Amino acid sequence: MASIVRSLRPVASRFAASSSRTARSWPISQFQARTFSASSAAQAKKYTKDHEWIELSEDKKTGYIGISEYAAHALGDVVYVELPTIPMEVAAGDSIGAVESVKSASDINSPISGTIVAVNDLLEERPGTINKGPEDESSAGGWVAKVEVSDAGIKDLDGLMDAAAYKEFTEEE
Amino acid sequence: MAPSRGLRPLLRTRIPALKPHARRYSEFVAAATDPSQKARVFVSQSQDPYLNLSIEHYLLQRTPGDSTILFLYTNSPCVVIGRNQNPWIEVNLGVLRNEELGVKLVRRRSGGGTVFHDEGNMNYSVICPPSEFNRDKHAEMVVRALKSLGTEKARVNERHDIVVDKEDKEGALKPFKVSGSAYKLTRLRSLHHGTCLLSSPNLESISKYLRAPAKPLIKARGVDSVSSPIANVGIDNFKFQEAVAFEFRSLYGTLSEASVWNRSIFFVDEKAKEVPEIAYGLEELMSEDWIYCQTPQFKFSTKNITETDSVQSIPSSWPPALRGIEFTAKHGKFTEVSVDYNDRTASSEQIELPLLNKLELHKITDWEQLLPPFLFTDSDRNVAVSPGRTMNQLFGMGNYEPSAYVRE
Repeated sequence: MASIVRSLRPVASRFAASSSRTARSWPISQFQARTFSASSAAQAKKYTKDHEWIELSEDKKTGYIGISEYAAHALGDVVYVELPTIPMEVAAGDSIGAVESVKSASDINSPISGTIVAVNDLLEERPGTINKGPEDESSAGGWVAKVEVSDAGIKDLDGLMDAAAYKEFTEEE
Repeated sequence: MAPSRGLRPLLRTRIPALKPHARRYSEFVAAATDPSQKARVFVSQSQDPYLNLSIEHYLLQRTPGDSTILFLYTNSPCVVIGRNQNPWIEVNLGVLRNEELGVKLVRRRSGGGTVFHDEGNMNYSVICPPSEFNRDKHAEMVVRALKSLGTEKARVNERHDIVVDKEDKEGALKPFKVSGSAYKLTRLRSLHHGTCLLSSPNLESISKYLRAPAKPLIKARGVDSVSSPIANVGIDNFKFQEAVAFEFRSLYGTLSEASVWNRSIFFVDEKAKEVPEIAYGLEELMSEDWIYCQTPQFKFSTKNITETDSVQSIPSSWPPALRGIEFTAKHGKFTEVSVDYNDRTASSEQIELPLLNKLELHKITDWEQLLPPFLFTDSDRNVAVSPGRTMNQLFGMGNYEPSAYVRE
């Protein structure tokens, strides 16, 4: 997602100023609250520089993947989400799907290595869900895929940012 | 290629054909991947839309991450749908297949809506680092090129298209679209490509290619096209190419002499097919799997058509008895099919359409074989109906006259 965010930021802010539909201000507080109030059974969310997140289950065997609030905001109205065919083996950084917004097809990349075992079908039917709750892994949320973590995937996690580091990273961008 | 040069005498007798090939395309590969080039222009001499998009995709994937690339090309007549679009909604496939012009159907990798290309339309494509990208920057670059050639009224609109104010038929000044944009954003590189209608001889017939007869009967996920009145700029292709390359140089070029810069413009041609990655991309782009099966899920139904429906595409040969054909297609494959001719049908033939499950819609080349004609009794009159022919017309199959696919 890196490309989208870095590149669309000026556009996104312009949208926010002019369009009532996308006029949500950047929900910093909500973003923090959500990040730290994730269910106690799950591990804390980790983020990539490309603006994807992953949240592992307590046993660290599986995890949910999605795009960050920051990315979803910068993308603008998502009109279609392309999901992978499961199961799909991936390495960290591999494209696992794409979103389309404002004439742009943008890749979604896997934050870690593993096997994609489930996808969020709701996004195919209601792509706007990804704008409403991109970091929400509930059944009504905008998560993208569920991954079965491989050994290499556990190591990939070390290279990711926690919520605080990611927030700092997005502020620098 | 240096390491292999020493082996040449050894190889010459054995596989003489390999070396010249490698030599020819390697110049393009060297130019595309040269890390010392921060800004470079490529111009295609091929008019094959599939090849040009594959060269473009190669440039997106292989040019140095910190470089900015301009790629210019024109295509032979084709209709290009966006990555997440439905060809049965966007394109009149029957006209495309049965008309002399031989318009090709292409699905590109970028987002956005459907456009028509021909030799009078030049495409520009700018590939740059994500940090440099914004949606209007390079459309503005093209606007400057158009202005330098005398098209003072060109401007970028809120849809990131380039429009020119012209008088319409009533003499009122209105914006006409001359260029449309689409984008492909990857982790390492961003691509913005756009069309520019310069002198297309086909403006009048474009809507004929883009008006799909099945559109009113399909509910689909995916991306809709927004149709706009279009016009030619009225500029020569070569002049436009020169002017865009000049504006690109002003934005990104080095301070080198114009003559040096001009000599660095790389002309790429059909031989690019010999680059393995381009050959692979070309095969993918031309595959029916990509063109048809990448289509987002959709549902076709004639059940809700009523007598009073103002839907214009409903053919008069589609009597009430036939208003019960329904299917859903996911990845271009039938998932649920039902045909219900209802009790008014005079036919006793049972059609085992559920057998279509898992088959691909685009592979049904003749619906008349599946849905044979029969006599239908309506108000004591016998009417011959051919649901198969109608389905052929709606989905662009069969080999009828092009006009048979046009619903007014």
